[in-house]
Amino acid sequence: MTRKLSELVEEQAFTWSGVKPPNMPGVRLAEALESSISGFEALRGLLAFEDEPSSFEAALQATKEVC
Amino acid sequence: MNKPLPSSGVLALSMTDVAAAIRKGDVTAVEATKASLDAFAAHDKAINSAIWLERETALETAEAYDKLQKTGKILGPLHGVPLAHKDMYYKTGKLSTCGSAIRKDFKPTYTATVIERLEAAGSVTLGGLNMAEFAQNPTGHNRHFGHCRNPWGTDYCTGGSSSGSGAAVAARFVFGALGSDTGGSVRLPASICGVTGIKGTQTRVSRYGVMPLSFSADNVGPLCKTAKDCAAFMQVISGHDPKDPTSASEPVPDYLAMLDGDIRGMLIGVPTNYFFDDIDDEVMAAFTEVCKILEARGAIILPVTIPNMDAIATYGGIVSRVEGGTIHAQWMRERPQDYAVHLSARLYGSYGIPAVYYIEGLAKRGPLLKALAAEVFEKCRVFITPTLRTKVPTLLATDIDAGTPGAEKAFMDVSLNTRPINYMGLPSVSVPCGFDSNGLPIGFQIQGRPFAEGLVLKVADAYQRETDWHLRKPPISA
Repeated sequence: MTRKLSELVEEQAFTWSGVKPPNMPGVRLAEALESSISGFEALRGLLAFEDEPSSFEAALQATKEVC
Repeated sequence: MNKPLPSSGVLALSMTDVAAAIRKGDVTAVEATKASLDAFAAHDKAINSAIWLERETALETAEAYDKLQKTGKILGPLHGVPLAHKDMYYKTGKLSTCGSAIRKDFKPTYTATVIERLEAAGSVTLGGLNMAEFAQNPTGHNRHFGHCRNPWGTDYCTGGSSSGSGAAVAARFVFGALGSDTGGSVRLPASICGVTGIKGTQTRVSRYGVMPLSFSADNVGPLCKTAKDCAAFMQVISGHDPKDPTSASEPVPDYLAMLDGDIRGMLIGVPTNYFFDDIDDEVMAAFTEVCKILEARGAIILPVTIPNMDAIATYGGIVSRVEGGTIHAQWMRERPQDYAVHLSARLYGSYGIPAVYYIEGLAKRGPLLKALAAEVFEKCRVFITPTLRTKVPTLLATDIDAGTPGAEKAFMDVSLNTRPINYMGLPSVSVPCGFDSNGLPIGFQIQGRPFAEGLVLKVADAYQRETDWHLRKPPISA
């Protein structure tokens, strides 16, 4: 990555949401997203083609405690 | 009628005990309510647990309940019991600041279902308790209303975001309080203030009329002195609500009846991965004692590996963050200066997270829960971990706004063990289990399958039958 992550976040936040960096801790926490990116990079391939958000409610029922 | 208890002694009772005393006529609703309000008046300056209280209204309500009782009528299991709640539960015409400058004068035009249920059960609502701004920090810092301070040591944080709920219950100002838990916000202040707190299964309790943070991970839950109190509290607030279509239709069992103290032969898992990484020695020692006590009551402790923890931690770290950023976008554009530094800083990063990752986080939630249930809950009924990995930090050490070096990491580390549980949607109760060398409480958390609230409370109650950590009285208390 040639540009700092905080610069990319600044560009994306303003371009898509009209939000500007509020303060320096915000810029530092944006830099800290690097660990999230690494986390997602390590998870590539885990998502199945059929996975969808609504499966969570079904999973709560499928795995629930049975008295 | 028996001789009434002295008002100074009323606040030492648990919520279920004071409710029983009121029903029996040993204590009146007015006596209990006055004792509670007087405790706030006398001691809250030191810990700042309340944002607002309505003394006259509360006493009038209590008086009306006493009159009703004299006619032989009881409203419900909490008849006459004074409670106060995190200041984010809407009640028509009443202040609900959400701990923020932005909503410092906000008065909603509708009432939260959980407030309606608690008041229908007879509780007397005293007012709104301090909280992290918009429920978005794990420490209890609040620039707008003043930091809430720990009754065990006022230099230390209370945990958040339900800071006032943890502090006020620990200090014996109230018998119980609603908190909310999106990444640990009930369990963290419960652990850090030395009280018991539970979040139910995702969807177990209605969120209608509750300030939103993250619709995927928000949970309503109580903080009380004991697991038994939490069971009684959950009994009142749990169950489907037509006003909240996301609330579960799952029947609510009799939680109190499940607290029989019998955990003989119960398999209790202790994770071998993630939850103990870089754990503090004193926290580990307290947790080891927990295992011994549970074993002494007949439970069988066994190691379990929580599968896919990297995925759970990664996904769990962004879902609620993005949802929070989404609902705060307009204010972040128009009035970012009205947020505390740490909050606007945290919200800001959410606008840099691509939607594809957010959706991936939601889509993997079901499969990951199924994998966890198959790997863990086929081997054990519940699993336990420390609620925090560290000793209780000071307010200064975690104060991002003050520019404390290392505060951002210390701040984020507080919720390492609680946040993944929200992502998995599991019921979880935090229970006091000791004190560190600074005199601050240590807690552990118990997790079960979805809708196993009764089971996790049963284990918590069994533990509390052997220990008295939850009954200790902090230096600042009524």
